[in-house]
Amino acid sequence: MSISSDVIRGYNDTMILYLLLEKPSYGYEISKHIKTLSDGKYIIKETTLYSAFTRMEKNGYVESFQSQSADTGKHRTYYRITESGRQYYRTKCDEWNLTQEVVEKFIMKGDIPNGYN
Amino acid sequence: MDTIKSYLESMFLNLPNTPEVYRAKSELLQMMEDKYTELKENGKTENEAIGIVISEFGNLDELAEDLGISSFVQPNSQMPAGKTLSLEDARRYLADHAKHAYLTALGVMFCILSVCGPIFFSTAAEFSPRYADLLDSLGGASLFLIVAIGVGLLVYSNVTIGSWKHLKTERYVTDFATTEYIHHGMENYKSTYAMLLTIGIILCILSVLPSIIFDAIWDSTGFWGDFSGALLFIFVAIGVFLIVMASMKLGSYKQLLHLNEQDTVGGNYVPNQQNEPKYINPTTAAIMSVFWPTVTCLYLIWSFLSFDWYITWIIWPIAAIIQALVKNTMTK
Repeated sequence: MSISSDVIRGYNDTMILYLLLEKPSYGYEISKHIKTLSDGKYIIKETTLYSAFTRMEKNGYVESFQSQSADTGKHRTYYRITESGRQYYRTKCDEWNLTQEVVEKFIMKGDIPNGYN
Repeated sequence: MDTIKSYLESMFLNLPNTPEVYRAKSELLQMMEDKYTELKENGKTENEAIGIVISEFGNLDELAEDLGISSFVQPNSQMPAGKTLSLEDARRYLADHAKHAYLTALGVMFCILSVCGPIFFSTAAEFSPRYADLLDSLGGASLFLIVAIGVGLLVYSNVTIGSWKHLKTERYVTDFATTEYIHHGMENYKSTYAMLLTIGIILCILSVLPSIIFDAIWDSTGFWGDFSGALLFIFVAIGVFLIVMASMKLGSYKQLLHLNEQDTVGGNYVPNQQNEPKYINPTTAAIMSVFWPTVTCLYLIWSFLSFDWYITWIIWPIAAIIQALVKNTMTK
Protein backbone atom coordinates (compact mmCIF):
# COMPACT_ATOMS: atom_id res chain seq x y z
CA MET A 1 0.00 0.00 0.00
CA SER A 2 1.56 3.27 -1.08
CA ILE A 3 0.29 6.81 -1.05
CA SER A 4 -1.61 7.99 -4.11
CA SER A 5 0.33 10.91 -5.55
CA ASP A 6 -2.92 12.53 -6.68
CA VAL A 7 -4.15 12.87 -3.12
CA ILE A 8 -0.93 14.00 -1.55
CA ARG A 9 -0.06 16.50 -4.27
CA GLY A 10 -2.07 19.26 -2.64
CA TYR A 11 -0.22 18.79 0.63
CA ASN A 12 3.42 18.71 -0.44
CA ASP A 13 3.50 22.46 0.16
CA THR A 14 2.08 21.98 3.66
CA MET A 15 4.75 19.44 4.57
CA ILE A 16 7.58 21.58 3.24
CA LEU A 17 6.29 24.72 4.98
CA TYR A 18 5.91 22.80 8.25
CA LEU A 19 9.57 21.83 8.13
CA LEU A 20 10.62 25.37 7.24
CA LEU A 21 8.70 26.83 10.22
CA GLU A 22 11.47 25.63 12.49
CA LYS A 23 14.51 26.77 10.50
CA PRO A 24 15.65 27.43 6.93
CA SER A 25 16.61 24.28 5.08
CA TYR A 26 17.74 22.89 1.74
CA GLY A 27 16.38 20.35 -0.71
CA TYR A 28 17.82 17.08 0.46
CA GLU A 29 17.37 17.86 4.16
CA ILE A 30 13.68 18.52 3.61
CA SER A 31 13.16 15.35 1.60
CA LYS A 32 14.98 13.38 4.32
CA HIS A 33 12.79 14.84 7.07
CA ILE A 34 9.62 14.09 5.12
CA LYS A 35 10.76 10.51 4.80
CA THR A 36 11.61 10.09 8.51
CA LEU A 37 8.53 11.93 9.80
CA SER A 38 6.30 9.72 7.64
CA ASP A 39 8.15 6.61 8.88
CA GLY A 40 9.37 5.98 5.34
CA LYS A 41 5.79 5.76 4.02
CA TYR A 42 6.16 8.81 1.82
CA ILE A 43 9.23 9.57 -0.26
CA ILE A 44 9.00 12.85 -2.11
CA LYS A 45 10.50 12.84 -5.62
CA GLU A 46 13.23 15.34 -6.41
CA THR A 47 11.24 16.84 -9.28
CA THR A 48 8.15 17.20 -7.07
CA LEU A 49 10.18 18.95 -4.41
CA TYR A 50 11.86 21.32 -6.83
CA SER A 51 8.58 22.10 -8.55
CA ALA A 52 7.04 22.94 -5.15
CA PHE A 53 9.98 25.22 -4.33
CA THR A 54 9.75 27.21 -7.57
CA ARG A 55 5.99 27.52 -7.32
CA MET A 56 6.03 28.66 -3.71
CA GLU A 57 8.88 31.05 -4.39
CA LYS A 58 6.87 32.57 -7.23
CA ASN A 59 3.88 32.95 -4.90
CA GLY A 60 6.07 34.54 -2.24
CA TYR A 61 5.63 31.80 0.38
CA VAL A 62 9.33 31.02 0.57
CA GLU A 63 12.58 32.82 -0.23
CA SER A 64 15.78 31.19 -1.41
CA PHE A 65 19.34 32.15 -0.54
CA GLN A 66 22.81 30.70 -0.97
CA SER A 67 24.57 29.50 2.11
CA GLN A 68 27.33 27.21 3.23
CA SER A 69 26.43 24.08 5.08
CA ALA A 70 27.83 24.05 8.63
CA ASP A 71 29.22 20.53 8.55
CA THR A 72 30.56 20.00 5.01
CA GLY A 73 31.09 23.60 3.92
CA LYS A 74 29.20 22.88 0.70
CA HIS A 75 27.33 25.72 -1.02
CA ARG A 76 23.64 25.05 -1.22
CA THR A 77 20.42 26.82 -1.99
CA TYR A 78 18.49 27.26 1.26
CA TYR A 79 14.82 28.15 1.58
CA ARG A 80 13.18 30.17 4.33
CA ILE A 81 9.49 30.71 4.97
CA THR A 82 7.98 34.19 4.61
CA GLU A 83 5.15 35.81 6.53
CA SER A 84 2.68 35.10 3.72
CA GLY A 85 4.02 31.53 3.73
CA ARG A 86 3.02 31.22 7.38
CA GLN A 87 -0.46 32.50 6.61
CA TYR A 88 -0.73 30.09 3.70
CA TYR A 89 0.39 27.25 5.95
CA ARG A 90 -2.33 28.12 8.49
CA THR A 91 -4.97 28.15 5.74
CA LYS A 92 -3.77 24.79 4.47
CA CYS A 93 -3.99 23.33 7.99
CA ASP A 94 -7.57 24.53 8.35
CA GLU A 95 -8.37 23.21 4.91
CA TRP A 96 -6.94 19.81 5.81
CA ASN A 97 -8.86 19.64 9.09
CA LEU A 98 -12.06 20.32 7.22
CA THR A 99 -11.22 17.86 4.45
CA GLN A 100 -10.30 15.20 6.95
CA GLU A 101 -13.47 15.82 8.95
CA VAL A 102 -15.62 15.42 5.84
CA VAL A 103 -13.85 12.45 4.28
CA GLU A 104 -13.65 10.73 7.68
CA LYS A 105 -17.45 10.51 7.80
CA PHE A 106 -17.36 8.28 4.74
CA ILE A 107 -14.56 5.98 5.87
CA MET A 108 -15.87 2.70 7.23
CA LYS A 109 -14.25 1.22 10.28
CA GLY A 110 -13.93 -2.54 10.39
CA ASP A 111 -15.11 -4.95 7.72
CA ILE A 112 -17.00 -3.76 4.70
CA PRO A 113 -20.51 -5.39 4.73
CA ASN A 114 -21.54 -7.60 1.82
CA GLY A 115 -24.09 -6.56 -0.83
CA TYR A 116 -27.87 -6.36 -0.33
CA ASN A 117 -28.65 -9.88 -1.40
CA MET B 1 28.29 9.78 -9.36
CA ASP B 2 29.06 10.09 -13.07
CA THR B 3 26.12 7.82 -13.80
CA ILE B 4 23.79 10.15 -11.94
CA LYS B 5 25.16 13.19 -13.73
CA SER B 6 24.82 11.45 -17.09
CA TYR B 7 21.27 10.45 -16.24
CA LEU B 8 20.31 14.00 -15.33
CA GLU B 9 22.04 15.41 -18.41
CA SER B 10 20.18 12.99 -20.63
CA MET B 11 16.86 14.11 -19.11
CA PHE B 12 17.72 17.73 -19.92
CA LEU B 13 19.34 17.05 -23.29
CA ASN B 14 16.69 18.66 -25.47
CA LEU B 15 15.54 21.43 -23.19
CA PRO B 16 16.20 25.06 -24.14
CA ASN B 17 19.09 27.03 -22.68
CA THR B 18 17.28 29.24 -20.22
CA PRO B 19 18.31 30.38 -16.73
CA GLU B 20 15.30 28.54 -15.27
CA VAL B 21 16.32 25.26 -16.86
CA TYR B 22 19.90 25.68 -15.70
CA ARG B 23 18.84 26.44 -12.18
CA ALA B 24 16.53 23.44 -12.11
CA LYS B 25 19.29 21.18 -13.36
CA SER B 26 21.84 22.33 -10.82
CA GLU B 27 19.35 22.22 -7.94
CA LEU B 28 18.24 18.71 -8.86
CA LEU B 29 21.84 17.60 -9.16
CA GLN B 30 22.55 19.04 -5.72
CA MET B 31 19.69 17.07 -4.17
CA MET B 32 20.70 13.88 -5.96
CA GLU B 33 24.32 14.31 -4.91
CA ASP B 34 23.32 14.80 -1.27
CA LYS B 35 21.12 11.73 -1.35
CA TYR B 36 23.79 9.65 -3.07
CA THR B 37 26.49 10.72 -0.58
CA GLU B 38 24.32 9.83 2.36
CA LEU B 39 23.30 6.46 0.92
CA LYS B 40 26.97 5.64 0.40
CA GLU B 41 27.77 6.70 3.97
CA ASN B 42 25.03 4.38 5.21
CA GLY B 43 26.79 1.45 3.62
CA LYS B 44 24.94 1.12 0.32
CA THR B 45 26.95 -0.06 -2.66
CA GLU B 46 27.58 2.21 -5.62
CA ASN B 47 24.93 0.47 -7.73
CA GLU B 48 22.32 0.40 -4.99
CA ALA B 49 22.85 4.10 -4.29
CA ILE B 50 22.54 5.01 -7.98
CA GLY B 51 19.46 2.83 -8.34
CA ILE B 52 17.70 4.48 -5.41
CA VAL B 53 18.60 8.01 -6.47
CA ILE B 54 17.38 7.48 -10.02
CA SER B 55 14.18 5.68 -9.00
CA GLU B 56 13.28 8.52 -6.63
CA PHE B 57 14.09 11.27 -9.11
CA GLY B 58 10.56 11.64 -10.46
CA ASN B 59 9.47 13.02 -13.79
CA LEU B 60 10.35 16.19 -15.66
CA ASP B 61 6.71 16.60 -16.67
CA GLU B 62 6.13 17.96 -13.19
CA LEU B 63 8.52 20.81 -13.86
CA ALA B 64 7.24 21.59 -17.34
CA GLU B 65 4.85 24.31 -16.31
CA ASP B 66 7.18 25.96 -13.82
CA LEU B 67 10.02 26.10 -16.31
CA GLY B 68 7.92 27.09 -19.32
CA ILE B 69 9.11 24.02 -21.17
CA SER B 70 5.78 22.28 -21.72
CA SER B 71 6.33 22.27 -25.45
CA PHE B 72 9.56 20.37 -24.98
CA VAL B 73 8.55 17.60 -22.63
CA GLN B 74 5.27 16.83 -24.30
CA PRO B 75 5.60 14.19 -26.98
CA ASN B 76 3.72 16.04 -29.72
CA SER B 77 5.87 19.11 -29.40
CA GLN B 78 6.96 21.44 -32.18
CA MET B 79 10.55 20.45 -31.74
CA PRO B 80 11.07 16.74 -32.27
CA ALA B 81 13.44 15.30 -29.72
CA GLY B 82 15.52 13.54 -32.33
CA LYS B 83 17.15 10.16 -32.13
CA THR B 84 20.08 9.60 -29.86
CA LEU B 85 23.37 8.54 -31.37
CA SER B 86 24.80 5.87 -29.10
CA LEU B 87 28.40 5.78 -27.94
CA GLU B 88 28.91 2.64 -30.01
CA ASP B 89 27.63 4.39 -33.14
CA ALA B 90 29.78 7.43 -32.44
CA ARG B 91 32.84 5.18 -32.26
CA ARG B 92 31.91 3.53 -35.57
CA TYR B 93 31.27 6.93 -37.13
CA LEU B 94 34.70 8.18 -36.13
CA ALA B 95 36.40 4.98 -37.31
CA ASP B 96 34.63 5.10 -40.68
CA HIS B 97 35.44 8.76 -41.13
CA ALA B 98 39.08 8.25 -40.20
CA LYS B 99 39.24 5.66 -42.97
CA HIS B 100 37.38 8.01 -45.30
CA ALA B 101 39.85 10.82 -44.53
CA TYR B 102 42.80 8.52 -45.17
CA LEU B 103 41.46 7.24 -48.51
CA THR B 104 40.42 10.69 -49.73
CA ALA B 105 43.84 12.12 -48.86
CA LEU B 106 45.48 9.20 -50.62
CA GLY B 107 43.29 9.77 -53.69
CA VAL B 108 44.19 13.45 -53.83
CA MET B 109 47.85 12.54 -53.42
CA PHE B 110 47.73 10.16 -56.38
CA CYS B 111 46.06 12.82 -58.54
CA ILE B 112 48.89 15.25 -57.77
CA LEU B 113 51.54 12.57 -58.22
CA SER B 114 50.14 11.67 -61.63
CA VAL B 115 52.12 14.48 -63.30
CA CYS B 116 55.36 12.87 -62.10
CA GLY B 117 54.93 9.99 -64.55
CA PRO B 118 55.24 12.08 -67.74
CA ILE B 119 58.13 14.03 -66.19
CA PHE B 120 60.11 10.89 -65.43
CA PHE B 121 59.44 9.26 -68.75
CA SER B 122 60.18 12.38 -70.78
CA THR B 123 63.47 12.74 -68.90
CA ALA B 124 64.27 9.14 -69.66
CA ALA B 125 63.36 9.75 -73.30
CA GLU B 126 65.94 12.51 -73.54
CA PHE B 127 68.64 10.13 -72.44
CA SER B 128 67.73 7.22 -74.68
CA PRO B 129 66.55 8.73 -77.98
CA ARG B 130 66.14 5.24 -79.46
CA TYR B 131 63.09 4.56 -77.32
CA ALA B 132 61.92 8.19 -77.08
CA ASP B 133 58.53 7.57 -78.67
CA LEU B 134 57.79 4.54 -76.55
CA LEU B 135 58.87 6.28 -73.34
CA ASP B 136 56.80 9.35 -74.14
CA SER B 137 53.67 7.32 -74.69
CA LEU B 138 54.40 5.35 -71.51
CA GLY B 139 54.57 8.69 -69.72
CA GLY B 140 51.13 9.63 -71.01
CA ALA B 141 49.74 6.25 -70.05
CA SER B 142 51.20 6.46 -66.54
CA LEU B 143 49.50 9.82 -66.03
CA PHE B 144 46.08 8.36 -66.75
CA LEU B 145 46.80 5.23 -64.78
CA ILE B 146 47.76 7.14 -61.65
CA VAL B 147 44.82 9.53 -62.03
CA ALA B 148 42.57 6.51 -62.36
CA ILE B 149 43.93 5.06 -59.12
CA GLY B 150 43.44 8.41 -57.41
CA VAL B 151 39.87 8.82 -58.62
CA GLY B 152 39.15 5.19 -57.73
CA LEU B 153 40.29 5.86 -54.20
CA LEU B 154 38.14 8.98 -53.99
CA VAL B 155 35.07 7.11 -55.14
CA TYR B 156 35.75 4.20 -52.81
CA SER B 157 36.32 6.54 -49.87
CA ASN B 158 32.85 7.95 -50.37
CA VAL B 159 31.39 4.46 -50.28
CA THR B 160 32.92 3.88 -46.84
CA ILE B 161 30.80 6.62 -45.29
CA GLY B 162 27.67 6.04 -47.37
CA SER B 163 25.90 4.43 -44.42
CA TRP B 164 26.08 7.68 -42.44
CA LYS B 165 23.90 9.81 -44.69
CA HIS B 166 20.98 9.63 -42.26
CA LEU B 167 22.97 11.73 -39.80
CA LYS B 168 22.62 14.69 -42.12
CA THR B 169 19.02 14.20 -43.18
CA GLU B 170 17.50 13.34 -39.80
CA ARG B 171 17.83 15.04 -36.46
CA TYR B 172 20.22 13.26 -34.15
CA VAL B 173 21.51 14.17 -30.72
CA THR B 174 24.30 12.80 -28.58
CA ASP B 175 23.90 12.31 -24.86
CA PHE B 176 26.26 13.64 -22.22
CA ALA B 177 28.57 10.62 -21.96
CA THR B 178 28.93 10.31 -25.74
CA THR B 179 29.58 14.03 -26.14
CA GLU B 180 32.25 13.81 -23.45
CA TYR B 181 33.83 10.88 -25.29
CA ILE B 182 33.89 12.72 -28.63
CA HIS B 183 35.17 15.92 -27.10
CA HIS B 184 37.89 14.04 -25.26
CA GLY B 185 38.86 12.26 -28.47
CA MET B 186 39.01 15.54 -30.35
CA GLU B 187 41.17 17.20 -27.70
CA ASN B 188 43.56 14.25 -27.87
CA TYR B 189 43.67 14.39 -31.64
CA LYS B 190 44.38 18.12 -31.77
CA SER B 191 48.10 17.75 -31.06
CA THR B 192 48.46 15.15 -33.81
CA TYR B 193 46.41 17.39 -36.08
CA ALA B 194 48.65 20.38 -35.39
CA MET B 195 51.75 18.32 -36.10
CA LEU B 196 50.43 16.82 -39.36
CA LEU B 197 49.20 20.21 -40.52
CA THR B 198 52.53 21.86 -39.78
CA ILE B 199 54.53 19.17 -41.55
CA GLY B 200 52.12 19.32 -44.49
CA ILE B 201 52.41 23.08 -44.84
CA ILE B 202 56.21 22.97 -44.45
CA LEU B 203 56.42 20.34 -47.20
CA CYS B 204 54.31 22.50 -49.52
CA ILE B 205 56.53 25.51 -48.87
CA LEU B 206 59.73 23.49 -49.19
CA SER B 207 58.55 21.98 -52.47
CA VAL B 208 60.36 24.72 -54.39
CA LEU B 209 63.60 23.98 -52.54
CA PRO B 210 64.85 21.16 -54.82
CA SER B 211 64.57 23.35 -57.93
CA ILE B 212 66.43 26.19 -56.22
CA ILE B 213 69.23 23.89 -54.99
CA PHE B 214 69.51 21.97 -58.25
CA ASP B 215 69.45 25.25 -60.14
CA ALA B 216 72.38 26.50 -58.12
CA ILE B 217 74.45 23.32 -58.49
CA TRP B 218 73.59 22.15 -62.00
CA ASP B 219 72.08 23.85 -64.94
CA SER B 220 68.30 23.98 -64.56
CA THR B 221 67.82 22.24 -67.89
CA GLY B 222 68.48 18.59 -68.56
CA PHE B 223 68.01 15.66 -66.23
CA TRP B 224 68.33 17.47 -62.90
CA GLY B 225 65.97 20.23 -63.96
CA ASP B 226 63.30 17.70 -64.81
CA PHE B 227 64.02 15.72 -61.69
CA SER B 228 63.58 18.77 -59.46
CA GLY B 229 60.23 19.42 -61.16
CA ALA B 230 59.07 15.94 -60.21
CA LEU B 231 60.36 16.41 -56.66
CA LEU B 232 58.26 19.54 -56.34
CA PHE B 233 55.11 17.55 -57.03
CA ILE B 234 56.15 14.75 -54.68
CA PHE B 235 56.68 17.25 -51.86
CA VAL B 236 53.34 18.93 -52.57
CA ALA B 237 51.56 15.56 -52.84
CA ILE B 238 52.80 14.36 -49.45
CA GLY B 239 52.10 17.76 -47.90
CA VAL B 240 48.55 17.85 -49.26
CA PHE B 241 48.01 14.25 -48.15
CA LEU B 242 48.86 15.16 -44.55
CA ILE B 243 46.79 18.36 -44.59
CA VAL B 244 43.70 16.72 -46.10
CA MET B 245 43.83 13.70 -43.82
CA ALA B 246 44.33 15.71 -40.63
CA SER B 247 41.66 18.29 -41.46
CA MET B 248 39.06 15.73 -42.47
CA LYS B 249 39.61 13.67 -39.35
CA LEU B 250 39.27 16.71 -37.11
CA GLY B 251 36.20 17.68 -39.12
CA SER B 252 34.48 14.40 -38.30
CA TYR B 253 34.81 15.10 -34.56
CA LYS B 254 33.45 18.59 -35.08
CA GLN B 255 30.55 17.31 -37.11
CA LEU B 256 29.49 14.97 -34.32
CA LEU B 257 29.80 17.73 -31.74
CA HIS B 258 27.54 19.93 -33.83
CA LEU B 259 24.69 17.42 -33.78
CA ASN B 260 23.25 18.93 -30.62
CA GLU B 261 21.37 22.16 -31.27
CA GLN B 262 23.14 25.18 -29.84
CA ASP B 263 20.00 26.49 -28.15
CA THR B 264 19.43 23.34 -26.10
CA VAL B 265 21.18 22.15 -22.96
CA GLY B 266 22.84 19.40 -24.99
CA GLY B 267 24.47 21.98 -27.23
CA ASN B 268 26.37 23.40 -24.28
CA TYR B 269 28.14 20.27 -23.10
CA VAL B 270 31.25 21.37 -24.89
CA PRO B 271 32.20 25.02 -24.45
CA ASN B 272 33.40 27.15 -27.36
CA GLN B 273 32.09 24.98 -30.12
CA GLN B 274 30.15 27.92 -31.50
CA ASN B 275 33.14 29.16 -33.48
CA GLU B 276 31.46 28.07 -36.68
CA PRO B 277 29.59 31.06 -38.05
CA LYS B 278 25.94 30.62 -38.95
CA TYR B 279 25.06 32.19 -42.28
CA ILE B 280 21.73 33.81 -42.93
CA ASN B 281 20.89 32.03 -46.14
CA PRO B 282 21.72 28.44 -47.07
CA THR B 283 23.37 29.42 -50.38
CA THR B 284 25.98 31.53 -48.62
CA ALA B 285 26.54 28.72 -46.14
CA ALA B 286 27.06 26.26 -48.98
CA ILE B 287 29.50 28.54 -50.79
CA MET B 288 31.42 29.36 -47.62
CA SER B 289 31.73 25.72 -46.64
CA VAL B 290 33.96 25.15 -49.70
CA PHE B 291 35.55 28.60 -49.62
CA TRP B 292 39.11 27.69 -48.60
CA PRO B 293 39.39 24.53 -50.72
CA THR B 294 38.21 26.60 -53.71
CA VAL B 295 40.75 29.31 -52.97
CA THR B 296 43.48 26.69 -52.68
CA CYS B 297 42.48 25.20 -56.03
CA LEU B 298 42.43 28.64 -57.68
CA TYR B 299 45.84 29.38 -56.23
CA LEU B 300 47.36 26.13 -57.47
CA ILE B 301 45.73 26.33 -60.92
CA TRP B 302 46.76 29.94 -61.46
CA SER B 303 50.27 29.31 -60.16
CA PHE B 304 50.94 26.18 -62.16
CA LEU B 305 49.44 27.55 -65.36
CA SER B 306 51.27 30.86 -65.26
CA PHE B 307 54.25 29.94 -63.04
CA ASP B 308 54.02 33.49 -61.72
CA TRP B 309 54.68 32.33 -58.18
CA TYR B 310 56.05 35.73 -57.24
CA ILE B 311 52.58 37.27 -57.51
CA THR B 312 50.03 34.46 -57.14
CA TRP B 313 50.32 34.55 -53.33
CA ILE B 314 48.21 37.73 -53.48
CA ILE B 315 45.19 35.42 -53.71
CA TRP B 316 45.53 34.54 -49.97
CA PRO B 317 45.23 38.01 -48.42
CA ILE B 318 42.43 38.84 -50.88
CA ALA B 319 40.58 35.64 -49.97
CA ALA B 320 41.01 36.36 -46.26
CA ILE B 321 39.51 39.84 -46.69
CA ILE B 322 36.57 38.45 -48.69
CA GLN B 323 35.93 35.79 -46.04
CA ALA B 324 36.04 38.34 -43.21
CA LEU B 325 33.63 40.59 -45.09
CA VAL B 326 31.17 37.79 -45.78
CA LYS B 327 31.43 36.56 -42.18
CA ASN B 328 30.69 40.01 -40.76
CA THR B 329 27.82 40.90 -43.04
CA MET B 330 26.08 37.60 -43.67
CA THR B 331 26.09 35.83 -40.31
CA LYS B 332 23.31 35.72 -37.77
